[in-house]
Amino acid sequence: MTALLAPVSVPTRALAHGVGSRHDLPLSPFYAYAGAFTALLVSFLALGLLWSSSRFRGDLAGRPLPTALQRAADAPSTRTALRLLGAAVALVFLLHLLLGPDDPDRNPAPGALYVLLWVGLVPASLLFGPVWRLLNPLRTLHALHPPRNPRPLPAALGLRPAAACLLLFAWLELVAPDNTSRATLLTALALHLGVQLLGAARYGDRWFAHADPFEVYSSLLARLSPLGRRADGRLVLRSPFDGLDSTPRLPGLVATVCVLLGSTAYDGLSDNPRWITTLQTSPLGPVPTATLGLLAAVALVSACYGLCAGVLRLTDRELTTPLTSFAHSLLPIALGYLTAHYFSLLVTEFSRIVIMAGGADNAPAPAPPLDPGGLAALQVGAVVTGHVLGVVAAHDRSVRLFPPARAVAGQLPLFLLMIAYTLGGIGLLVA
Amino acid sequence: MMRIPGALPLGRRFGGLCLVLVLAAAPVLAGCGGRATTHHKPGTGHQEATGGSGTLLPARDETGHRLRELPAAQAPTVRAEVRPDSEGGWNVHLTVERFLFTPESTGGAAVPGRGHARLLVDGRETGRLYGPWGHVPAGARTLTVRLHADDHTVWAADGVPVQATVPLAGTPAASSPPSPRPTEPGRTATLTITGRTVQPPPSRIELKKGERLTLHVTSDRDDTLHVHGYDRELPLSAGIPATLTLTADRTGLFEVETHGSGLVLTQLVVR
Repeated sequence: MTALLAPVSVPTRALAHGVGSRHDLPLSPFYAYAGAFTALLVSFLALGLLWSSSRFRGDLAGRPLPTALQRAADAPSTRTALRLLGAAVALVFLLHLLLGPDDPDRNPAPGALYVLLWVGLVPASLLFGPVWRLLNPLRTLHALHPPRNPRPLPAALGLRPAAACLLLFAWLELVAPDNTSRATLLTALALHLGVQLLGAARYGDRWFAHADPFEVYSSLLARLSPLGRRADGRLVLRSPFDGLDSTPRLPGLVATVCVLLGSTAYDGLSDNPRWITTLQTSPLGPVPTATLGLLAAVALVSACYGLCAGVLRLTDRELTTPLTSFAHSLLPIALGYLTAHYFSLLVTEFSRIVIMAGGADNAPAPAPPLDPGGLAALQVGAVVTGHVLGVVAAHDRSVRLFPPARAVAGQLPLFLLMIAYTLGGIGLLVA
Repeated sequence: MMRIPGALPLGRRFGGLCLVLVLAAAPVLAGCGGRATTHHKPGTGHQEATGGSGTLLPARDETGHRLRELPAAQAPTVRAEVRPDSEGGWNVHLTVERFLFTPESTGGAAVPGRGHARLLVDGRETGRLYGPWGHVPAGARTLTVRLHADDHTVWAADGVPVQATVPLAGTPAASSPPSPRPTEPGRTATLTITGRTVQPPPSRIELKKGERLTLHVTSDRDDTLHVHGYDRELPLSAGIPATLTLTADRTGLFEVETHGSGLVLTQLVVR
């Protein structure tokens, strides 16, 4: 508890990503040019060569898995076991946070939050679907005292609470001073618990699907998973494009995706020496400047998307929801960014955190898994793959929404936007 | 449809278990402390790291190394004797108990009673001893010998490093001029901190893997220099230049920062 009483004793860390002392090398120009060229080429080939009538069938598509597997997955015992598992892991996390040393080099709790949960949810959701929904310890806590007659969730709410929470989490991870100290993490945790449990007490457990940042993040990434549910409830193997196509068009989807894109972009920017100089010499002080930087990154990403949606609306008056109609196509781009930025962090820090949780002190951070060239190729590959998936998803949606005569012209603004995002993403990896 | 009683529940349970196991693999490892097989440097298996290698204290010595405490009955001891060398400086002889010099496993995990000794001349680290004999050049006033474990932590008993300090009395410094500083190999960078301004402004130092880097850092306040990733720390005294030398043996981008003021001084780009 000393940290709560004397936070001064905690050494100040420079504003940076919460955990991990090794950052990835800046990209060499070769990889950057190769990536940018591929992205451009793919975009224009897609315009000319891709199909002219919509192929994706969203949540109607998919090859059903064997019924035994479905029964096993749906069995109440499986669900309970997952709930208990999530609760147990959360308890271990909380105990480490409360009783462990106030030092991220010796306490696995900060790493568990910033790496195992935040970054680890990406591959977990891609492989198995919306896992956090099944593990979420808040749902377990809520189930102990469910409200008798929860109110209906306002339709306009959508994913907006989750977008706000995700922005706050990004601020905690990328901007907050001492974001690995026990006092900060406990405060954030208390705030999170308060908001989520109060919301759930009012609206019932559907609140989590709209407001829990980790659940929404995991569910959105799970849209790209080969495992999914069809509209009839069957567990199916499906193309990630169909999963993506079935992303519910809730209000706040655009905001959520823009927060994901913008905060990852800001993480890339925060490695730039010029930005570091700006932060350190700014008359506002480093934390307000970094906050403004993060907000500006999110605002820039959103403004670009808003502009694009505006142009789409101008080209086709019948398109009433230009913003949410194409938001799903940004998800693969966000996934590409996330992979490029956090792959090596996950691989190097994962084992270190696990070793620490196992009780070893001074756990060495293992060497990066790939040589610098391999890592650079993977980063560019991830960004470009995300771009390609996004372009294909947007193409299919636009041939469905636009009349055939205008389908090619209609998607031009989107393609330009995606090229801008991709080149921006690669540019941040070079800087 | 008829089903064989018992068969289905078993299958269901088994399938559920499989799913649970697969879904749970990552978080469970964090919880139950399973021994993860990861990339280890030779000699850093968990047996050594966890089993009876003393208690790692939060305290660090002035060169930034953590202390590793052993019960007094198991802790090594060291005594140092010096006698003048005919060509200048001092010959040092260490007498150690419960301690073995293990140069071949330096960099591995800490094992009680094994490691190396470091020489601190006037409080500044000048070299290591991997055996009982060594030499200290002329011009020094005191010599401290400190015992380190293979993982570079300092052996300690009762919270105090295991060390011996001897005065180098009657130093023949007046008769012979102090030897010039040996030229430092590799790259050199000089950084000055004034308030929140770093001169030169934060930039990137490009290094080849294996290259040596010497940082000369002057801060206008007492602070601690920290090289991320290499986990090297150096105390900075206000206005007094401090020097830190490291070998860039990990690739990546690493930040050099101060802990007190939380400033990034520069970034090391090691390819």
